[in-house]
Amino acid sequence: MTARAAPAPLPPATTVGVLGWLRKNLFSSRGNGVVTVLLAVLLAWVAVNLGIWVLVEADWTVIISRAPLYIVGLYPYEGYWRLCICLLLISVLLGMSWRAWPKAARRFAFGFGAVMLFVGVFPHEMAPDHRALLLLNLPFIGLGYVLTPRPAEAHPGRLEAMAGGAIATALGRVAIFSTPRRMVIAAFGALVLIMILILGIAGVPGLDPVNPQDLGGLMINLLLAFFGIVCSLPIGIGLALGRRSSLPILKVACVIFIEVIRGVPLITLLFMSRHILPLTFPEDLNIDRVYLAGITITIFSSAYMAENVRGGMAAVLRGQTEAAHALGLRGWQTTLLITLPQGLRNIIPAIVGQFISLFKDTSLVYFIGMLDLVEMGRVSVQGNQEFIDNGREVYLFIALVFWVFCFSMSFISRRIEGALGVGRR
Amino acid sequence: MAETSGVQAAVDIPADKAEILARPLEERDDIVVCENVHKWFDDFCAVRDVSMRVKRGEVVVIFGPSGSGKSTFIRMINRLEEHQQGRIVIDGIEMTNDVRNLDAIRREVGMVFQQFNLFPHITVLGNITLAPQRVRHLPRSEAEALAMRLLERVGIPEQAQKYPAELSGGQQQRVAIARALAMQPQIMLFDEPTSALDPEMIKEVLDAMRELAATGMTMLCVTHEMGFAREVADRMAFFDEGALVELGPPDQIFNNPQEDRTKLFLDQIL
Repeated sequence: MTARAAPAPLPPATTVGVLGWLRKNLFSSRGNGVVTVLLAVLLAWVAVNLGIWVLVEADWTVIISRAPLYIVGLYPYEGYWRLCICLLLISVLLGMSWRAWPKAARRFAFGFGAVMLFVGVFPHEMAPDHRALLLLNLPFIGLGYVLTPRPAEAHPGRLEAMAGGAIATALGRVAIFSTPRRMVIAAFGALVLIMILILGIAGVPGLDPVNPQDLGGLMINLLLAFFGIVCSLPIGIGLALGRRSSLPILKVACVIFIEVIRGVPLITLLFMSRHILPLTFPEDLNIDRVYLAGITITIFSSAYMAENVRGGMAAVLRGQTEAAHALGLRGWQTTLLITLPQGLRNIIPAIVGQFISLFKDTSLVYFIGMLDLVEMGRVSVQGNQEFIDNGREVYLFIALVFWVFCFSMSFISRRIEGALGVGRR
Repeated sequence: MAETSGVQAAVDIPADKAEILARPLEERDDIVVCENVHKWFDDFCAVRDVSMRVKRGEVVVIFGPSGSGKSTFIRMINRLEEHQQGRIVIDGIEMTNDVRNLDAIRREVGMVFQQFNLFPHITVLGNITLAPQRVRHLPRSEAEALAMRLLERVGIPEQAQKYPAELSGGQQQRVAIARALAMQPQIMLFDEPTSALDPEMIKEVLDAMRELAATGMTMLCVTHEMGFAREVADRMAFFDEGALVELGPPDQIFNNPQEDRTKLFLDQIL
């Protein structure tokens, strides 16, 4: 850099005030002005009517009085505290993410804390100890933040983070830390703990096993989608590598698997898993439908994941493999150390997109008799004479819940994209 | 540091090699032997019947019009391209389909690319230590010490913890040189190392190459930097239409080219 002789001239002013902006964008001609006014009237009319309905006419009893059913299904009340502990674990992980990767995770951590605060203080029926546990989420986010070492001055270690935790990070569960490997292990440990807390262990006091069929509501949508995406990542990577392999049998097997699964709607796979697959099992083998759904969703997702991974790896420049070969790295070393990490970085947005789509797809599990959020809504309305007219409230609420989750995911995804510099080389 | 002056600080030259390097060029052994090498891309003959012998410690600059097969030729020396006819022997190792031979040759030969090809997802230090750790199985501490010595040699030790994208083109190319040297190769290939650089960055890369040549490294450089060639090259090779048209010392090439095509090409670019 050479020293500047004179300060560089400033760019011309880009804003000309609110009125100027309005004139330029909305009222640039008579026709545009008319369209603007008409649309504004229409929007205002819709907003006012909807607002009146939401605030005055709608009867939210159907939601408030049955809130736990939508959130956790038929999960036994005695176990609610275990779910609260799970939330606390997630809070710690979010706090860690916030410290390690403020750009991507800070607002999400805040948002999560805000939701917990809202639910914790909202005046409705809730045991005071559950209320207290929910309110504890705020300090636990702070705890995670404090426990995490400050990221290295310049960068967190991206290599290990990519290999282990990028995907989980995209979902806001795992942070990329200055010591990524340890933190990824901590995060996976937390996930195992969460599963243990939710399902319980026979013989451990306080952790009575829960019948998997009692899992329901939003919780089952989230669990199926999350474990579907986490489990499908390694399988998808394996399939993608198999498809790139030069061994004909392996390659053909992977191609057939991927194309067959991608060519079939999820709902038919779910049907087969419930009604056809068990025909092939030994008679005394009885796999719960929750696990069948989980396995099916994982298989479904891994076929798409495989294609994502393959695309991501194909986008890695050829010079990268050439440089690796020139340095004497073997083929598999090149794949594992050079192509795969870069390929995975390329597809983080695609993986989040897939998570969002999978999350919404999990509402199909009603088809094999599970009470997920949407099905719980249907049951609430159609199964109760008193709520038979409250369908609008229920489905608006469900739509809002799905939207909040999906929007948060895509928000994080964009943040991570920016932080990682995807598209920049 | 006291040891910044020499390659000895960074690359260990075994005693027998040092003894060979002390001899005049003519009396040294051939480290690269190419005999009647051919290469086709489909029906297009990219390299035709090239024979060349390079002495240990010799610097050969390869030049010629684009599409003349010069890049393909040096890429065959570490088998980024496979030769389809003829014979290539690197430091006594015959280039065959045998994986062990290929591994041995790639340990002997380092390469620097036009587009640098640094690994964008790892730090500068990680780029340099990766292959020494994974291929030569150096312990991490040793690999990092080696990397820092090499970075000091190319003048950018302070960039070790950065990612390649944060460096200028010239700095990236110097990292690429350090990365190749970290494998302690006997031969260095340069494939248009300055062609993707802004003019003010060319010098820093050429300086690093000059310094490397001064330490007795065998170098094959595809480059259009004729000033560099005149100053550093022991011999120059002119390629045209896949063939090695003329091979001789810079003095001959510049002042008394034996082939019309060489003369014509030099007239065009000088």
